[in-house]
Formats: sequence, C-alpha cells, structure tokens
Amino acid sequence: MSSTLCDSLRQDAGIADFASESIVIIDLAGSIRYWNPVAERLFGWPGLAVGGAPVADLSPAPEDEARAWSQLLQEGVWEGQIRRLTRDGEVRIVEARRRLRHDEAGIPRDVVEYARLAQDANVEDLPERSAADAAMAASWEIDLTPATDILDRIRSRSQTSGGDDRGDLGRRLLEAARIVDVNERTARLVGGNRGRELMIDQSVASFWPVASRAILAELILEAIRDSEGKRFHRRLASDGILREPLVTIWRAGADRPGHLFITVNGAADDDRSYLFLRASEARYRKLVHYMPVALWQVDASHMGKIYADLRSRGVADFGKYLDDHPELVDIAASSVPVTDVNRSAIELMGGKDAQDLIGPVGYLFTESRESLRRVMIGRFSGDRNYSELMKLRTLDGRVLDVRFSVTYPEPLVELDTTIFSLEDMTERLQMETQLRQIQADFSHAARIATLGELTSSIAHEVNQPLAAIMTNAETSLRWLARAEPDIGKVRQLTARIAASARRADNIVQRIRSMAIKQSPDPVALELNDVVRESLLFVHNEIERRGIRVTTTYSRDLPTVVGDRIQLQQVIVNLIINAVHAVEGRDETEREILVATGVEGRSATFTLKDNGPGIAPEHLGRIFDGFFTTKPQGMGIGLAICQSIVTAHGGVVSASNRTGGGAQFRVALPRARSLT
Amino acid sequence: MTTIAIVDDDEAVREALGDLLMVSGLACQCFESAPAFLTALRSHRFDCLVTDIRMPEMTGIELIEKLHEELAELPVVVLSSVLDDATRAKALALGASAWLGKPVTDEHLLDAIATAMENSDPGAAR
Repeated sequence: MSSTLCDSLRQDAGIADFASESIVIIDLAGSIRYWNPVAERLFGWPGLAVGGAPVADLSPAPEDEARAWSQLLQEGVWEGQIRRLTRDGEVRIVEARRRLRHDEAGIPRDVVEYARLAQDANVEDLPERSAADAAMAASWEIDLTPATDILDRIRSRSQTSGGDDRGDLGRRLLEAARIVDVNERTARLVGGNRGRELMIDQSVASFWPVASRAILAELILEAIRDSEGKRFHRRLASDGILREPLVTIWRAGADRPGHLFITVNGAADDDRSYLFLRASEARYRKLVHYMPVALWQVDASHMGKIYADLRSRGVADFGKYLDDHPELVDIAASSVPVTDVNRSAIELMGGKDAQDLIGPVGYLFTESRESLRRVMIGRFSGDRNYSELMKLRTLDGRVLDVRFSVTYPEPLVELDTTIFSLEDMTERLQMETQLRQIQADFSHAARIATLGELTSSIAHEVNQPLAAIMTNAETSLRWLARAEPDIGKVRQLTARIAASARRADNIVQRIRSMAIKQSPDPVALELNDVVRESLLFVHNEIERRGIRVTTTYSRDLPTVVGDRIQLQQVIVNLIINAVHAVEGRDETEREILVATGVEGRSATFTLKDNGPGIAPEHLGRIFDGFFTTKPQGMGIGLAICQSIVTAHGGVVSASNRTGGGAQFRVALPRARSLT
Repeated sequence: MTTIAIVDDDEAVREALGDLLMVSGLACQCFESAPAFLTALRSHRFDCLVTDIRMPEMTGIELIEKLHEELAELPVVVLSSVLDDATRAKALALGASAWLGKPVTDEHLLDAIATAMENSDPGAAR
C-alpha cells in the first residue's frame, strides 16, 4: 500500500473512531481496503478477513453491486440500499452512502462507504424491482390538479380528432403540472445547482429533459386513465443525462388525488455528462491549485454530526458549552483532517509538498487556539463565513500575521467540505506600522513648526505669570524688611505667587505636550474639549490682532476616538490659517466663527473666516503637500491636517463661503463602542 | 502725592505692580486697557505711566502714539515681553522714557520710573 493511502487510512481510522456508522474504504478495483469496527459488528466479518476481498463477493446479487458501482464511478456519489452477506450467511439490508474520493491531481483515488442498518427495508413499494434499483431511481411526485383544465380539453379533443395540437396540449400539461417532491438523485441529475428544495412547487417542464417531454405527457395521460394504480413503463432514448432510462409512472392512492409518482432508472450517460464533469472538475482543481490565495480543504463532517447531536440535546449557547467542555476544541484540532491544500498554502507554510500539510488541522492553530474555538462557534451558529486576523506558526518556525477566513459547507450540500483561506498580512502590517511611524514623525515636525510660529505668543504668555511672580516676591521682601513686617500682606502675596506659578506650569505643560514626540494614543475624546484646548494655544494671536471669535459648541456631540495632541494640532493649524486670512481686513472687521456639530454618525468641527477665501484654482490642491501661497510657508500644515484626519477615519474639506471667506470642515466618525 | 498709572491686561501683573509701588511709597491706579486709562486721564492727573505693549483693543504703541498726538507730556515706562526691536525703537522714538522686559526686578522698575519723572518737564504735565 502506498504511503499516501496509509496516511489517508490513518485519518479515516481517526474519523471512524467517532462514527456510529459502518465505514468501508474500497479501492477502484472494487477491493476492500479498510473496514471499521462498526462494519465488523454489523456484518460479522473481522477487518482482516475481508481486507483485499472484492466487495462484490459479499453481495447476494453481484449484478446490483455492479450497477451501483458503475453509477458511483460516473456520478461521484451513490446512495441507496445494499444487501450484504454476513459471516453467518444471512443477507443484511443496509442504507449506504458512497463517495468517490480524488487525489490532488483530481484522479479518483478510492471510495468511502458509510452504511447503517436499514430502519425499514422499504421494498414493497416496488415489488418487481430490486431494493438497489429502487434506491437508485430518480423519483418524482407530481401534482396534476393545476392542469385540470388542460386534461379536460385533451379528453374532449381526443374524441373528435387525434390531432396535431395534441403535442401542444402535452407541453402545456407539463408546464401546468407541479413538482410535489423529488429525491436527491433527481435533484443531482436535473436540478443543476439549485438543489431539491428549489425544485419543489416548480413546473415539471422546467426540469424534465426536452427530448422526452412528449413521451412523459403520453405516459401521464395513460396513467390517469387507469383507475387501479397500474404501473406504466417506457424506455426512453439516451438523453445526455441517463443512458436509455426506463420511466415508470403510476397514480398515487386515493388520499392524494391528482398526484402521480414517476421513477426514472438508468445509469448516467457516460460519454458526455461524465467526461464533461471530469474535465470541468480537473479545470477547477487546476485553477484552485494555482490560485494566489492559500487554500485548505478540511473535512469537518464528523464535527457537524457532533454539533447536530448537541443541538438536538438543546445546547444553544455553544460558547458556554465550549467553556465547560474545552476538550472539544482539542478533539477538533486532532481529528478534523485537512484533505487538500493548494500550492500557495504549501508556500505559505514553508512545506515541501502537500503531504506536509495533510493531517489533523490543529497545526494551523498552534499560535491561536482561540481562533479554532471561534471557527467552531461560527459553524455551530450556522454562519456561512468567518474571518479574523490571527498568528500562524509555519512549518519552518516563522510566526506570521495572517487573515484567516473560513467558508462553511452549506446545510443542503451533501459533501461536507469546509474551506479555509489564509492571507499573509505580515508585510502589510509591518508596512502599516512604518507608515504610521512616518506619519507620526511628520506630524511631530509640523507641530514643532507650528510652535515656532507661535514663539512670541508663547513667550508673552509665559512671561506674564513670571513677571507677576518676580514682582510679588520682591514686594514681599520689602514688606518683610520693614521695622514691623506685615505678615498678612506677605501671606497674600505668597498665595499670588503660587497661583501664578501654577498658571505658568499649565502653559509649559500644554506646550510640552505639543512639542514632545510620542506615538499616537487613541482615546475617547469630546471634540468640544479638544477645540477649547486648541483655542488656548492661539488666543494670544487672536487677541493681539483684535479678531472677534464666535464659538458655538454643540451639546449632542458623539464621542470620537483619537489622539488628543494630533487633533489639537489640526484645529490649531486651521485656526492659525484663519488668523492669517483675516489679517488683511480692517481690525474691526476681522471675524472667525468656530462651531462643533453632528452630521450623521460624525462629530464635526467647522471654521469660517471672513478673509479673502481660497482662489478657485487652488481649492483642489490646498491639502496637497508643499502647496502654499504664503511666501514663508512650507505648505505642510494643511497636508498634515489631512493626513491626521484621514488616519482618524475622518474627512477634512475646504470651501468658499457664499458671502466671502473660507470654510474648513473636519468630520470625525463616532467612536465605536470600546470593547 | 505722586500717582503712577499702570496699564496691563493681565490681572496678576497689575496686582503685583500695584502692591510693589504701594510698599515703595508711591500711589498708583491700575487699568486693564488703554481706552480705560485714556478715559481716566481726562479727569485725573498722573505723574508717570507704566504700560504693557501687547494688549487687545488698543496696544501700548497705539496708546503712546495717542499721547504723543495729544501732546500729553506724560513720562512713559514700557514694561513688555515683546522682543521686537522695531516696536521698541518706535516706542522710544515716540517719547517713551524706558523699555523694560518682563519679568523685571523691582529696582529696575522703580529706577526707571524715577528717571522718567526726573527727565520730564513737570510744568507740562497736567
């Protein structure tokens, strides 16, 4: 046995430990390769005794086995009842599901058969056919009630003429007839991607092959004329789906008036549909293999059964259940097998070939076991997708930041295949960190430049309390130097000294926070506070120019998240711009309006001035780096404002006011709940 | 009694200067703006003016200009943190007696006030 097959059997044995079903693996030659303990109990044969034996030898009707086998190889799946000889010589009827498995290249590898004892060997319905045939049939139940009018017209016409319009009425009959139910095989053969659920209540004509619709219409007419529930058969020509299928039709019992049952028996038409399917699957596999996204295919079917069982036992809060049973995460890690990976996955993990990555899925979650837990909760909750950033340890020991995404199997899809995709984000995250650093450096440099512009204001501001301190201290000394020192006066002056010293300290602190270089520190902020603090920086510039500043603070501002210093920097910069803009006006007319507000889900800061406004040709460029209209300007102020606001997820915009002057507006998104 | 006028928009500075002059035996009156002082000047007599430069409404320079225009021969001492040489030169050209930087020592300030009053023509002051 090849090592691949050995490995695959080892995984199969892992699955089988969880299974309550008989699991048998059969190679493509039809020989039994694996036979699990449940199979031993069910059929009495020990695994060693049947290993290597042709599975057909265990069938009392080898021709049924052969037919089922050929259908399986062509359609990829088969399900139905099979009869199998037990060690005691009895015939045991089991309900079986067989699935053809492929290797990475898309070549069929082996067949896995799941089986359990049939609850009721329901063969009486079709006494003249074998149980296997009945299960293999594509069956339909249709309702002719909506076609009553058409049936009446067909009856009346048939008495007068055998006529040409009979074909047309037959077509309309199939259009009016509704599908009540179909089995999985019908859905697989003619349902396309739509599946069984979506076929129900549709018109029969939408799904029945065109070539044989006329024959079906005839059969329906024959069947409804019969009152005894007789069966009517017709063999059809191969239609590209089934090879020479046999159609059987009969009326339902009196409890379902107007209903008919139809079965279609036949092997899939190998020449076209099978080869077409194989070719399309090979193309698909090749596409997946070379996709630039790392993909894992895992088979979590036995976990699906565990989940279904838990749900049936009333478990609703799966997160809590996992808290109580953490071992279930370990079980998943060690038992859910990776069944396939593509080339990008091998490269990402630093493996040599696919075999390095085939095995229990746990190796993907060594760095973040919690991620696996969340993946399991997603599946349990019936989600279609789940995605998160996580750490991944590669086979060669690197730890990567990856975007991990999972696509869960659809509930109605028979093949339980879960797809993982992993995208390496390490470089991108590093680049983002670097960019953030550069942005922080740049905005720091700009803050220093702003402070430089404010030097004389700052000097004035600090000198005021210093002057008061010095004069008060010297005055105190004079009071103390008197023949009768006035201690009360000295106490008063000392208190004033302390107050002025505190004032100077506040100013220095404020300036230092602007001047020091620190990483952005996002916290929840009230925009109104940020605006008030920013105005403190520039109030001297505003006052000495005699500018009238009107402030309007909104009371309903949403909290925003951001770096206090950087946002102050934005507002200070915009106000300094406005101060320069209004300088050209007469002192009595200089005006700046500052307002905060709410717009949608954003907090806004609006600044209006009555300066000359922005030249229309400059409007589109004023936020560009190194764009300036000032002789001394570097042109980085507004560029920095924009980069800071953008980094906060906000928008800054500039426009001209209708009455003259410029308007700047900053909108910052409402903070999402800080969890 | 000699009365000194102090014009400064900063309350802490005004209070400190007022106390210093008082303990030094000088009467003084404090104003928070230049227009407030000009109003008082219509009805009061001052021996010397100590003024800040950087103030809202009317700057110290504008105040000195106004006094110069009105030929008010009031001795003026500038006490400011403004470092601008052009502003300083302008103040002195308009007749300011001294330009002191903030913060200032008590001796410097009292000397400057005394010198300013000595150099002025007492007969010309109202």
